Amino acid sequence: MREITVRVNGQERKRLVKDNELLLDFLRERLEVRSVKAACWRGECGLCTVKLGDHLVKSCLVLAVEADGKEVETVEGITPDGELTPIQKAFVSHGAAQCGFCTPAWVLATHELLQANPHPSEAELTEATSGLVCRCGTYNQIREAVEEVSQARPRLAKENLASS
Amino acid sequence: MSFGSPYVTLPDFAYHRPKSLDEALALLKEHGEEAKVMGGGVGLIAFMKERLMSPAHVIDVKEVPELRQVRHVPGKGLSIGAAVSIKELLEGGTLRGYAVLEEALARVADPMIRSRATLAGNLCEAIPWVDSPPALIALGASVEIAGTGGTREVPVSGFIRGPVDIDLNPGEIVTGIMLPDPKGTLSAFEKFTAGSEFSLASVAVALAGGGRKRSVAMVYGAVSSTPVRCAEAEQAVADGLTPANVRRAADMASEKVECVDDVLASAAYRRHLVKVITTRVLRRMMSA
Repeated sequence: MREITVRVNGQERKRLVKDNELLLDFLRERLEVRSVKAACWRGECGLCTVKLGDHLVKSCLVLAVEADGKEVETVEGITPDGELTPIQKAFVSHGAAQCGFCTPAWVLATHELLQANPHPSEAELTEATSGLVCRCGTYNQIREAVEEVSQARPRLAKENLASS
Repeated sequence: MSFGSPYVTLPDFAYHRPKSLDEALALLKEHGEEAKVMGGGVGLIAFMKERLMSPAHVIDVKEVPELRQVRHVPGKGLSIGAAVSIKELLEGGTLRGYAVLEEALARVADPMIRSRATLAGNLCEAIPWVDSPPALIALGASVEIAGTGGTREVPVSGFIRGPVDIDLNPGEIVTGIMLPDPKGTLSAFEKFTAGSEFSLASVAVALAGGGRKRSVAMVYGAVSSTPVRCAEAEQAVADGLTPANVRRAADMASEKVECVDDVLASAAYRRHLVKVITTRVLRRMMSA
C-alpha cells in the first residue's frame, strides 16, 4: 500500500492504495464516485471514461498510482452547482439517455469535445466518441443534442467567412 | 475491501516510476525477467487482467525524459521516444513525410486509447492484427534498444520474431523507434475491419525514388502470424502506378500472400480482402 494524492473534481483526496489497483476502482470504491461505471473492464465500452490531466482516458486501463499528483475530472466536475450544463440540458430535451448507464461518460466526452471544438462536424463527433458504446442505441439522439448546443453557439467571424 | 470480480483484478506487483533511463535500466537489471516495462499501459494492463502476464515488478517509463523526445538525427532520420503517446505523434505534423504510419496510427483503437498508447508499445505487443508494424517495416524503420551493456539497433522486420515474440532480452528496454529520412517517399496505409478494432487484413505501401532506382515495399498485416512482404506485388508496380500494374499487383498479392484461417476470418476471405485493400491503396496513391 502507498499513499497517493489526487485532485478529484477540484478537491484534494488522499488515500492508501495498492500498487495493482485500477484508477476505476480507486474512484468508485475508495472515493465513491459512482458516475464512473465499471462495465467491460477491457477498454472497449468507454463507460469508465474520466479526464486525467488534459486527456480523456479509460480508467479501467490506468493504475491508481499513475494518477498520484494529478487532476481527475468526472461528470460531477463539469456541472455547475444546482444547474445543468448546456449539453446536459440538450441530452434531456432530446431523450439522449434511455437506461442512463452510459450517460455520464457520453456527457463528459461530448462536453469535452464542445469545449475543444465548439462546432464539431458529424464526422468529428463520431471520431471523438468512437471509444464509447451505448447499448440502448441512442446515438442519433446524442448527435441531435450535440448539434443543438453547437448551433446555439455564436460562430466566430472567420467560421462564418469560411461557410459563406 | 474487495474489488470487482476475480477476472478483472490485476496480479500483485510492485510499481516503480523511474525518473531517468539509468534508473529504469538499474531496475530492469535488478528484477530481470520478473519485470515488465509499462508505457501507456493499455496493452500490459489488459494482458495482466487476462493473466497472460503476471510480472512481480511493473516499471512505468512514462516520465523518463530520455524516452519522451522526438528528434531529428541529421543524416539518419526521426527518432521517436518510446514513451511518446500516439496522440502526441499525430499532432503538429510530426509524422509529415511518413503518411503510411500517420494513417495507420490515426485508426488505432479510439482517441482515449491513443492518448495513452505509444508506438513502441503497439510494436512490442507484436499481436498479429496490430497496425503499426507493417507501416514501420514499409518505411524501413528500426528499433533502438538499451541494456546495461550498451545500446543496439535492429530493423523492425527482424525485431518481430513471431506472434507476441520480440527480439528483446531481459534487462533491455526499447528506447525509441528510428524512421529513416523519407526523401520524397510516397506512402499509404489501408486496412479492413469488420466493425471491431481488429484488422482482418492491412497493407502498408512505400514507394521511394524514381526511374530505375525506384524501390517498392508492400507489407501485409493481420493476414498471417507476422507482417509479410510481397515481392511479386512490389515487382508488379516497380515501373510505375498504372491501372494495369495496380490490377496485376492486386492479383499477385491475393495469390502469393500467405493468409491464415482463424476465428476472425477464413484464409479465403482474407485473400479476397488482400486484393480489395491492395487495389484501394494503390488507386489512392495513383491519384495523390
